[in-house]
Amino acid sequence: MTDAALGELRAERERELLSHAMECEACREALRDATRVRELVERGIELLVDGEPSSQFLTVLRRRIAQEPHPVRSRWMAWTPVAAGALTLLLILVIGRMPRHNGPSPIASRLKPSPSSPDVTGAPDATRLNARASVSGRASDRLPRAHKATAGLPNIIMPEGQLIAAARLSEAINSGRVDGTQLVVTQRDADKPLEVNPIEITPLDPPPTPDDEEKPAAPTEF
Amino acid sequence: MDALAASLSGSAVSHDESLKREFEQRLADCPKLAYRVALGVLHNAAEAEDVAQEAMLRAYRSFNRLRERERFRAWLVRMTFRLALDRIRSKGRRERHERAAMEEQREASVEHLVTSREFERHVARALDELPEKLRIVMVLAAIEGYNTREVADLAGLSEGTVKSRLFLARKKLAESLQCLVKNIPVG
Repeated sequence: MTDAALGELRAERERELLSHAMECEACREALRDATRVRELVERGIELLVDGEPSSQFLTVLRRRIAQEPHPVRSRWMAWTPVAAGALTLLLILVIGRMPRHNGPSPIASRLKPSPSSPDVTGAPDATRLNARASVSGRASDRLPRAHKATAGLPNIIMPEGQLIAAARLSEAINSGRVDGTQLVVTQRDADKPLEVNPIEITPLDPPPTPDDEEKPAAPTEF
Repeated sequence: MDALAASLSGSAVSHDESLKREFEQRLADCPKLAYRVALGVLHNAAEAEDVAQEAMLRAYRSFNRLRERERFRAWLVRMTFRLALDRIRSKGRRERHERAAMEEQREASVEHLVTSREFERHVARALDELPEKLRIVMVLAAIEGYNTREVADLAGLSEGTVKSRLFLARKKLAESLQCLVKNIPVG
């Protein structure tokens, strides 16, 4: 009934209620009461806020304001546009200096050619894969401790699978099981499927003795 | 150098003067708005005037820090409302209202009731019982017939929120005052 009196019922619902109220004395009475209450509320609140401040109000207020110190425009407000401009310029500079990762491959590596390693293939980007890997979370935890000690070396950002493979390879090189100078890194075209080229690894073990020649060579794992 | 200093100080003074003039322009209509908001909460002319004075004075003191000057009225309304609520809390006015209303309950016709002090007290008590967020929209909607858009601007709310709060406020007030109507003969 209150909803109806406040005009919040949907038109269809209101029609139903009104037609019912035509026949039902109790509902008619209830609706009448609700409407009276709504009128009382509106009139009552209007009465409550109906009033003017006294004629002395402004005089007293002006006198009190005159006793206040002069308002001064705050200094920081004057500097706001300057600070905003400086901040924008700084942001542009910072963003401009950030390294960009172009191309579809997430691998962004700065590979430094090693002066000590001979260029086996003659490719310009041949290098030793011995660098500090930059990873996050779980992949970082899986790295051998030896990698964590290689601070200061170039960062390599790569997918987790490649990172683990690289870590294993690096560990194999460091432990001397693999001759790093024989490894070749070549630029892969991202559009072509990955071609797996077998790497020939020369073990650093001493030359096989005549006894060993009979046994098959153990495959190198990395 | 002295000339430069003098010109700088001169511009500062003119700045302050312009600020003062800007505030002065607002004295034309804002005190009435502040007074009515305070009256809607305090239901007492003298106290409402006191709170409105205090709100205007605070507005003057902080006027230089107000970045959006066109929001001055909304800012003043909210400040007045808060000051009025603080005044109520500090004085425990609610309890006094309830006592006074209990003392003067008697039957009356609707017309008599509407114009009587008793009715005013009933409405005031019902209004006081509303949550603050409903009360402010109810008071603002009653002042000079502000529409939903204007109430939304002054209260810093969306129009939809104002509509729903107004409906809830009216419903709660109606429920509070229903008992009053039940025993009143029509006419």
